[in-house]
Formats: sequence, structure tokens, C-alpha cells
Amino acid sequence: MSGSRSIVKLALASSPTSVDSARKQPAIQVSNLSIVFESRRGQTIAVDRVSFDVAPGEFVCIVGPSGCGKSTVLNTIAGLEVPFEGDILVEGSPVHGPRPDVGMVFQQPHLFPWKSVRRNIAHGPRMHGKSKTDANAVADDLIAMIGLKRFADAYPNTLSGGMQQRVAIARALANQPRVLLMDEPFGALDAQTRAVMQDNLLELRDRINTTIVFVTHDIDEAIVLADRVLIMSAGPGRILREVAVKLPRPRSSSIMVEPPYLSLKKDCLDVIRAEGLRAFNQSDAS
Amino acid sequence: MQDRTSAPQEIALRVDGRKRRPDSARLRRLNILVGVLSLPLFVGLWELASRSGAVNMVLFPPPTVVAAAVLEWIRSGQFLGDLLASLFRVTTGFIVGGALGILLGILTGQFPVISSLLSPLFHILRPIPPIAFVPIVILWFGLSEAGKLFLVVWGVFFTVWLSTHIGVQKVDRGLIRAALMLGTPRRQMLQEIVLLGALPYIVVGLRTAVSISFYTLVAAELAGTFAGIVYRIEIAQQNMQTGQVMGGLAALGLISFIADRLFAALAERTVWWR
Ligand SMILES: Nc1ncnc2c1ncn2[C@@H]1O[C@H](COP(=O)(O)OP(=O)(O)O)[C@@H](O)[C@H]1O
Ligand SMILES: [Mg+2]
Repeated sequence: MSGSRSIVKLALASSPTSVDSARKQPAIQVSNLSIVFESRRGQTIAVDRVSFDVAPGEFVCIVGPSGCGKSTVLNTIAGLEVPFEGDILVEGSPVHGPRPDVGMVFQQPHLFPWKSVRRNIAHGPRMHGKSKTDANAVADDLIAMIGLKRFADAYPNTLSGGMQQRVAIARALANQPRVLLMDEPFGALDAQTRAVMQDNLLELRDRINTTIVFVTHDIDEAIVLADRVLIMSAGPGRILREVAVKLPRPRSSSIMVEPPYLSLKKDCLDVIRAEGLRAFNQSDAS
Repeated sequence: MQDRTSAPQEIALRVDGRKRRPDSARLRRLNILVGVLSLPLFVGLWELASRSGAVNMVLFPPPTVVAAAVLEWIRSGQFLGDLLASLFRVTTGFIVGGALGILLGILTGQFPVISSLLSPLFHILRPIPPIAFVPIVILWFGLSEAGKLFLVVWGVFFTVWLSTHIGVQKVDRGLIRAALMLGTPRRQMLQEIVLLGALPYIVVGLRTAVSISFYTLVAAELAGTFAGIVYRIEIAQQNMQTGQVMGGLAALGLISFIADRLFAALAERTVWWR
């Protein structure tokens, strides 16, 4: 009972009115972002003048080959990495470090092994000054939402990879972030679990309506989940193309066999193939 | 076609299972039996060897003589005093050295400036065997109890410091990033994430330090004292009471064995998530 009530609360955090008022203001603005890593062998340009906006409530996927700088972009939005050049605004204010309105889910669940599922999820609210009872109530709502009621008192090492990642998502949502960043969260899971997780995420998102930036190297995953796909190229990381995904919602991974989906996928693959060919010819010439 | 390929496999599996299981069970039972008989066997051989006349019984007394010496030691009331004196040195030294080691290990592991200040010194002092400090400890502390404690603390400290330092540095970066993203403040980060993340290393260091505290106890008591298990061994040696010497060794071995086991059980409970 109390579970559904606070889900409503979560949904209200980004209700249609806030979408309207924020039409002037994107949830995330990345402008001219460049990131350079210094190493013994010199400088590596990981990300080269990347710009994009994400509207409030939008679900954006960034796809690209591994090493193209997807994680770096995401970490910078999260405030874990400092930009070399360019600006990042979240909800209109510049990012100086990790902040409570931005949540993150990593490729590995990184759950605290000494805390039960409930206490892992309650960690964020506790750190923000909520009482133990209130934090646990938030955690229990989320546990119900991710369908792990039976495991509320279990420790992470007794859960499967998929369950651990669901807990990690719930833990990030416990702070009610305006923006949720997800860095290949299903990358370490097997194909079946991954499909289930994608459907879970779609369902979850229809309920909470948080702004999501989701990084993956899997084009199918990107198209199934996103409102818009940003295709990145490697060395240095740039955005090649934006593809709007105007497939109806609510969605599930079963749309992957339908014609509109397939034509979208063909568009994406064409972009990637052209880029691959260009990169190949370039390396051939040099 | 299908039948032909699957049938022989099934038979092979069944034969395999029938043959192997009783065999491994019998082997396991034999192992347990040999394990139980091991100590009595060697004590018996020792008794026979000592009484055979092939060796000098004064230098190599049989277990029965050793047992009699231990009983006399206990009955005289000296054993309790010796035991308490030794246990006091070991536990106090272990607790003080361990606490200092954990505290400084966290500081040097977490704060590069403190590490730059202290680590070079610690790395120079650490490899010197604690026993080598006996002469200077006698100069500084005489035969006082403080000198004994100093030696044990010294031995325990460096082991615990190093393992804590390494443990803090090896805390999963992913956990720290996750905690940062959840808004964990600095203080909580140290208390909750870093300390618990390093705990498995700290516990390994502490366990090593248990046996080190007994090594250094030997040095400390040989350096001159008035009670203690090693002190009793030394006195017995001066009086040619070989039975008592061996009894003392057995007592020391037993105590340090029990200490190690207790600590291992405790450690398992402390880092149960491992
Ligand atoms: N901390 C770092 N130091 C040096 N180079 C890095 C660091 N992090 C990432 N890089 C480099 O930046 C590039 C982009 O990395 P990353 O963002 O992890 O790619 P992706 O997530 O797309 O696989 C890679 O070439 C990688 O080697
Ligand atoms: Mg990555």
C-alpha cells in the first residue's frame, strides 16, 4: 500500500508541469565537452568537443565502440571526472562534483558487501539525513518495486548478477534523482537476464519518469530503450549522429522484430558501418 | 540413432558412480583414523625411544616424565602466575600495537601527505627483527614490564600498520565511487566504506600479529624477568630440568595455538561477507 503511494510521489518529481516549465531548460546541457587524460606516453584526447542536450524526462542512449569515451562523458556529467574544456549544466546549474539530484548505476553493481539489500538502498537517504525508519521505508518501497521483497535482508553475495544490478538501480533511485546515469548496467549479464532487465527498466521508467542517460555498446539495447540515440565514434570520442526513436510506448524488447524497429536499426548500422570503413581506410593509409 | 549414442553414456556414468563413491568414503575414513592416531603414535614412539637406552634420558626425557614435571608445575602454583604474566604481556602488547597499527595504517593509507611523512621511516624500521631490540630495550627500560610490552607492541605494530595501509589503498574504487554518488560525506566514507573495505586485510594482519606477539614474548622474557612461561623454561634449563623445559615448550605451543584458533574464529565472524 505504502509502496504505491511513494511511487506516485516519485512520479510527481517530474510531472508534466515540470516538463512544461523546463521546456526552456534542458535537464542536462553538455556543450563543447573535451576530456584529455595525461599519461606517461603523453596526452590522450578521450572526448573531443561533444555537445548535446537532454530534455527533462527524456531517455537518451549513447552507443559506441568500447574505448570511445562513453564512460568518460557519463562520469563527467556525474561530477566524478573534471572536464578539460567545455561546460556541463544539470538542471541549469554547473556540475562541480557528485550531487544528490544525479544518480548513477555502474556496469558492476558495486553494492556494499557488508550491508543487506535494505541497508544498501537506504544508504543514500541515510547520508542525506533521513532517520533510519524513514530511510528503511524508502528502501522497502523500492524493494517492492524491483520485486525483491524476499531478499530485503539478504546480503549481496547471495544474489544473482541481475538481482544485484536491480538493487543498484533501486539504491540510485532512493535519493529521488532528477537525472539517472547508467553506464552499461546490463553489460555483465547474460542475454536472457539482460532482456528481462531491459523490460524491467522500461516498466520502471514509465512509472518514475526520471531523465535517463544510458550508455551501451549494444545498438539493439539502445533502440529498445531510448527516445533518442546518440551514436559515438572512437579515437577521439565524438558524436556522429543523433537518431530519434519514435517507437510507441509502453515498449518491451519484443518490438525488436517489428519493421519500424528494423528500419531504425538499419539507419544506425549504416552510420556505424560508414564510420568503421572510414576509420579502417584511414589506418590503412597511414 | 539417438538411443545408440545416449545409452552407453548412461551406463558408463552409473558404473563410474558405483565404483567411485564407496572408494572415496573409505579413503576419507582412513584419513580421519590416521589423523586421530597421529599424536598418540608419536608420543608413544618418543616414550619408547627415551626408555630404550639409546639416548640420554636426562637430556631427552620420555613424555611421562614431562607430564609429571607439568603436573608439579601446576600443583606448585607457579604455573598460574607464569601463565598470567605471559598472557598479560601478549594481550596488552597485541591490543596496543594493533590499535596503533590500525590507526596509523588508516592515516597513511588515506592521506598521501601523512604517508609521505611516515612511510619511509616505517619501511626502514619494519624489517629489523624485534628481537634485535632486546639490548637497547634493556638499556632503556631495564628489567621493567614496560620494556617487555615495548617489544611486543613493536613487533605487532609494523605488521598491522602495513596490512592496514595496503588494505585502505586496495579498497574497491567502485565502492567509493558508488558511495560518492550517493552523497556519502568524508567522515562516513572513512568510517563506513574505507574501514570496512580494508577490514579483510586488517584482519589478516592482526592474525599474523598473533604469532608475532608470541615470538616477541620469547625475546622479552629471555631479556630478564621474574615470571612467565618462557622465563620458567629458562630457569628449568639452568637447573637441567629437561622435563620442565619440554613441558614449558608444550604449554607455549598450546597457548599460541589456542590464541590463533580463537582469533581465526573471531575473524571469520568479523568479515562474514567474504
Ligand atoms: N583514468 C584514465 N586515464 C587515462 N586514460 C583513460 C582513463 N579513463 C579512460 N581513459 C581512456 O579514455 C578513452 C575512453 O575511455 P572510456 O570512457 O572508458 O570508454 P568507453 O566507456 O566508451 O569504453 C579510452 O581510450 C581510455 O583508454
Ligand atoms: Mg565504459
